[in-house]
Amino acid sequence: MDMNEIKEIFFQECEEQLAELESGLLKLNDGDRDPETVNAVFRAVHSIKGGAGAFGLDDLVAFAHVFETTLDCVRSNKLEPTQDVLKVMLKSADVLADLTNAARDGGSVDESRSRGLVKELEALAHGEVPAPSAAVEAPVPKAAAPVVAVAPTDPSGFQPIPFSFDDFGGEDEPAAALPTYEVTFKPRAELFSKGNEASLLLRDLSRIGEMSIFCNTDDVPALHKMDPEGSYLHWVISIKTDKGEDGIRQVFEFAEWDCELDIKLQEDDAASAEADSELPMIPVPFDLSILDDGPAVAEADTSADVAAAVAAADTASNVMQMAGAAARGEKKESAATAAAAAANNAQAANNASAGQTIRVDLDRVDRLINLVGELVINQAMLSQSVIENDNNGTSSINMGLEELQQLTREIQDSVMAIRAQPVKPVFQRMARTVREIADITGKSVRLVTEGENTEVDKTVIDKLAEPLTHMIRNAVDHGLEMPEKRVALGKNPEGTVKLTAKHRSGRIVIELTDDGAGINREKVRQKAIANDLISADANLTDEEIDNLIFHAGFSTADKVSDLSGRGVGMDVVKRSIQALGGRISISSKPGQGSTFSMSLPLTLAVLDGMVVTVAGQTLVVPLTAIVETLQPEASSIHSFGATQRLISIRNSFCPLVDVGRILNFRAMQANPVEGVALLVESEGGGQRALMVDAIQGQRQVVIKSLEANYTHVPGIAAATILGDGRVALILDVDAVVAASRGQSLKQEMSLASVG
Amino acid sequence: MASKAGAQNVKLAAVLDLNEATTLQGTLQSLRGSDIVIDASAVERCGTQCIQVLLAGAKAWEEDKKTFTIGKVSDAFEKTTQLIGVNFEQLLGKEIRQ
Repeated sequence: MDMNEIKEIFFQECEEQLAELESGLLKLNDGDRDPETVNAVFRAVHSIKGGAGAFGLDDLVAFAHVFETTLDCVRSNKLEPTQDVLKVMLKSADVLADLTNAARDGGSVDESRSRGLVKELEALAHGEVPAPSAAVEAPVPKAAAPVVAVAPTDPSGFQPIPFSFDDFGGEDEPAAALPTYEVTFKPRAELFSKGNEASLLLRDLSRIGEMSIFCNTDDVPALHKMDPEGSYLHWVISIKTDKGEDGIRQVFEFAEWDCELDIKLQEDDAASAEADSELPMIPVPFDLSILDDGPAVAEADTSADVAAAVAAADTASNVMQMAGAAARGEKKESAATAAAAAANNAQAANNASAGQTIRVDLDRVDRLINLVGELVINQAMLSQSVIENDNNGTSSINMGLEELQQLTREIQDSVMAIRAQPVKPVFQRMARTVREIADITGKSVRLVTEGENTEVDKTVIDKLAEPLTHMIRNAVDHGLEMPEKRVALGKNPEGTVKLTAKHRSGRIVIELTDDGAGINREKVRQKAIANDLISADANLTDEEIDNLIFHAGFSTADKVSDLSGRGVGMDVVKRSIQALGGRISISSKPGQGSTFSMSLPLTLAVLDGMVVTVAGQTLVVPLTAIVETLQPEASSIHSFGATQRLISIRNSFCPLVDVGRILNFRAMQANPVEGVALLVESEGGGQRALMVDAIQGQRQVVIKSLEANYTHVPGIAAATILGDGRVALILDVDAVVAASRGQSLKQEMSLASVG
Repeated sequence: MASKAGAQNVKLAAVLDLNEATTLQGTLQSLRGSDIVIDASAVERCGTQCIQVLLAGAKAWEEDKKTFTIGKVSDAFEKTTQLIGVNFEQLLGKEIRQ
C-alpha cells in the first residue's frame, strides 16, 4: 500500500469524521448537552488533525488545532455552547471541510474566512462571549491571543497555543522559570494491542523537557493471574517544559484514546518543601540515545544528574501536592477531565464493538451486482424453458424452480442493499447550503430533516446532491420571505425548510417543503407570456401554472442574485431527476409555502419497464416515462403537414411519434389504429404519444450497458436480456422524442406534468 | 552478581515485545519455587509489558521467599527501565530482601 492509498483512506475517514462533526454540532444546536455528543465532536476534529499532521497538511492541522482547543473548552465546561458559539463552530466545520477538500483536490480556501474564524474561535477559547449574531463580523477584541498563523513554524506542524492558566488558580509564573507539569499517564491494554508502546511515548516526552518519573507498580497482579498483554503500570511524571500542555498532549496524540492522561500545571513555589521520599521519583537521564541505537554521550549523564536532582526535589513536592489535591477546589478541573477521558474510552470501546464495517472497492460490488443480474436472467431463462417442455405440469422441477426464483430475488435484493446507502450525507450537505444561503440573503432559516436513514443506491445518492442544492437555494432565496415580512404576516420570523425522505412502493420519495410565500401564480403567468411559453389568453389550471417553473429560462426573481435567478434552475433540476428515472412534481399554496416531491428509483441497476413490440422487435420502455397508454381511434388521428400526425387526447393535441419509423425498423409509417399509443413525458414537460405495435407486459429488467458491450446506439438507452434469452433494447424516450422534434411543430399546450 | 549454585538462569530474548511477554510469563511460571537469575545482557529492545511481567515475577518470588536476581543487563534494558521509572537495579540487582 503506498502513501497515496493511505492518504486516500485518510480522506475517506475525514469525510466520515466531518459528517460526525456536523451531526454532533447540530445536535448541540438543538439543545443536546450530552457530554458524549461533545466528545464525539471533539474526537472528530482531533482525528482529522492527527491524520493531517501525519501527512504534513499544515493548513488543515493549524485550523483543526484551534478548533480543537475551543472544543476542548466546551468539553471541560469552560465554554457554554450557546447558539452564537455554535454558529461559529458550524462555520468552522464548513471551513474544515473546505480545507480537507483543498488538501485532497488542490485548490485554495478563502483565507480571510478561515483567519476570521480562527480569531473567533480563539476568542471563544479565551472565554470571551461571542458578539451577538448580528455583529459577528465585528473586530475581535484585542485580548484575543496572537493569531495562530495558518502556516505553522514548528516542523511537526503544531504550534504552541498561548494558554490561559488563570483557570487553574495558580500563582503567576515567574517569567524565567519553565513551568512544570505533572502528567499522570495510565495506559490501557488497547494502547499496547494497537502497537503503541508506553516506553516510546515516555521517551518522546522526555525529549520535550526535563522530566522525572514515578512508576506506580501497585496494580501489578500476581504472576499467575496476570494477563501478559494487560496494562498494569501507570506513571506520574513531572516535566519542565516550555512546550506547554499542548506540547505534552501532542506526545500522546495517537494514544490519547487508549490511556488516561491528566496534565496539570504545577506551582513552583512549593519546590522548597522538604522532600518526602514515600513516592520516589526516578530522574530520567538525558542520555536515551541507546534507544535510538546511537552512540552514548558521556558528559550528558553528569549534567543530567544535577538537573535530575533538582527535578526530583520538585517532583517530590509535587507528589505531596498531589496527595492534597482531592481536597483542593482548584483541582476540580483535572477531575472533570479525567471523568471525560473515562467517558471517552468507554465510548471508544462501544464504537469498536458496534457496527463493524469493511471497505470494499466499488468495482467488486459492481461485478457482484452484474453477476447477480446474470443469475436472475439465467434463472428466468431456465424456468421459461422448463415451462415450455413441461407437458404434464406436475413435475417437482416447477417447485424447485419457484424456490430458486425466490432465492435469486433475495440474493438480488441483498446485493442491491450493499450499494444502498442512507441519504444522510446528502442531507447534511444541504444543511450547509441552507446556512450559507441564509447568511447571504439575511434570512433566518431552519432546516428540518426527516428520514435521513432512508437508503437508496449509491449512484442515485451521488446524483441527488446537485438538483437538491438547486431546489434548496430556490426554496430559501425565492420561497421564504424576509424575517420582517414574515413577522408582518404573523409567521415565525425563522423560516423552515423541511427535507424528508421515505420509501414508497419500491421507490424513494424525497420531499422539500418550505413555509414561505408559495408560488406567485400571477407572476409566473405573466413571465410565461413574456417568454412566449404560453399565449396571453391561455386558460391554465393552477397546477399547470405551477409546472411552468420547470421550463427552461424561467425565473420569477425580479433581479438576478448570486444564488439563483439565472434561469438555470428548475428545468435543470427536472432534467437531472428524469435522467435518474425519477419524477418531480410541485404543489403550492399561496402564503403557506410550496412542496416539491421527487420520486426516484431505488437503484439504477434494474428497471421497471413495459415490454412492447415494434416492427417485430422487442423493446422496453421505462415505466417511469409512461403517463398512460391508449388505443387510438381513427377519429382522433389528425394529419398535420406531409408526414406528421397528431392525436387528440381529451381536447388537446399531442404529436404522434412512430417509434418504428424513428428507429428505422420500417420504411413506412404504420397505421396508428392497429397499434397502441404510449403517452410519455419527455424533458421540458412536453408529452408525446409513442406508437408501438403491441404491449407484451410489464417486467423488471436488469440493465446492461450497450456502450460497454457494443457501442452507443442513438435512441437506445441500454439493453437487457429477456427470459427467452433474446436481447431487448431499452428505449431512450427523450432521444426518440428529440429525434421526432426535428420535423414536428413546437410543443403543444399540454403543460401539466402528470405524475 | 554471580548466580548462586542451584539458581536457574533465565536468559531474556533480544526483543522483549508484546508477544514475548506471554512467553516470559510462561517461563517464569515454570520456574516458580527455585531461585532464579535473570540475564538481560542480550536485550536490544524492551517493551513495557515484559517489564510488567518481570515486576510481577519479582513480587511472586518475594512471596515465595526465593531469590529473584537480575544479573547482567544490556544498555538498552537499563535505559528503558530507567526511562519508564522502574528501577530494577535497586530493587533487583541485589537479592530481594529475604
